[in-house]
Amino acid sequence: MEIVVAISDMRVTNRAGHILVTHSLGSCLGLVAYDPAACVGGLIHCLLPVAREAREGKTLNPCMYVNTGVPHMIKAMYAKGAKRERLIIKAAGCGRMMNVSNTFDTGAANFAALNKLLALNDFALSNSDVGGSIPRTIRLYMDTGRVMVSSCGKNWEI
Amino acid sequence: MNRRQEIIAKALAVPQMPMPVQKIMSIINDPDATLMQLAQFIEYEPGLTVNLLRMANSAFFGGHGAVSTVKDAVMRLGMQRVYQMVLASGVAPFAKYEIKGYGLPPGQLLEHSAALAVASEQLATELGLTAPPHTFTSGLLVNIGKVVLGAFLAVDADPILEMAYSQGIAFEKAERAVLGIDHGELGALLLEHWRLPPPIVYVVRHRLDPDAAPERDLTLDLVHAGDVIAKMTGIGLGYDGMHYAPCEAVLIRLGLTAEHVERVMECTITHFTEIRDILTSTE
Repeated sequence: MEIVVAISDMRVTNRAGHILVTHSLGSCLGLVAYDPAACVGGLIHCLLPVAREAREGKTLNPCMYVNTGVPHMIKAMYAKGAKRERLIIKAAGCGRMMNVSNTFDTGAANFAALNKLLALNDFALSNSDVGGSIPRTIRLYMDTGRVMVSSCGKNWEI
Repeated sequence: MNRRQEIIAKALAVPQMPMPVQKIMSIINDPDATLMQLAQFIEYEPGLTVNLLRMANSAFFGGHGAVSTVKDAVMRLGMQRVYQMVLASGVAPFAKYEIKGYGLPPGQLLEHSAALAVASEQLATELGLTAPPHTFTSGLLVNIGKVVLGAFLAVDADPILEMAYSQGIAFEKAERAVLGIDHGELGALLLEHWRLPPPIVYVVRHRLDPDAAPERDLTLDLVHAGDVIAKMTGIGLGYDGMHYAPCEAVLIRLGLTAEHVERVMECTITHFTEIRDILTSTE
């Protein structure tokens, strides 16, 4: 069964029959994490790198931002039995408009925020498919941990 | 007849605007028409009435449920705003089609168009500007040329995509190279044929390359930047994805910062579903 993860949302599951999928990855980050031993997987679709408004005391959706959403998902995976030393983490998305200046390259900012967060917490990315101007869909197959990226009618594994 | 002429001839044969919308356009364009005449006509069209009230009451348009009659809506929002909402309601069905060659299943272009319209309006608010009344509708309509190419003319987009991605040129330039026309210009020709107001046609014609427009235009700038922001959110993207080049001059002219872009992206994600749901119910 496919479980669709919307923009600024996440899903965590421990069911081998599930396929977690998110569409519409433009400059957004799609991040999957998978613990093969516990069969726990998660997928998050983050819109922006950092929750700027949090400093103004607003209540925000943590999944909208890389710096709050990714820890939120990893904690939810731990709650289902995942262990940090077994996590396989892969990223997709973070695209950009053609010839856009760095100021407006939100995709690069999302990927930089992810790398900073992972480095701070001693995690490493196993693989990624990021950048460029193509739209992406990412799927995590819970039975095997396989991660597939689709774009423009083509599919490839990362 | 070359490819371009053939495409234009076929495009101009696509279905007309729904009759109620045509009638309302004639009322709006009549300098002697009154707000009450407009309200009375809308009240005879149940579909338009429902959609107008839903839009007038939507959180995005600041209604908060206080508008209960067409007269209220017309009085509160004014003729121009009501006109834009009726127009949006009338043209939305065209964005519901599947657009095969462009990788857009049914409803996906409508999602993208709703996001683009919301982003264009919200951008003005973010920048402390007053969006001209046709900003929302222009945003909603800028991709109508894709409907014509992909749904009505069943154009094979593969050669366009191949050229765009392999040669690294913007998608609309590849469209022009392969078809002799891009979806922006074709959309503008169709809307002109439908006699939509020139300011909307102007935005649809030039939004992919605002620098080439003969005159600067705030709505054009807002919709160009709103289009960029909507694409970055990823909502309803087709195979052409983000393979377009933003016009740096527009971003500078608007004084846009990364923080503005991020705030508008947040707002677009929050509001586009509300607008999409209203327009999806349009018959």
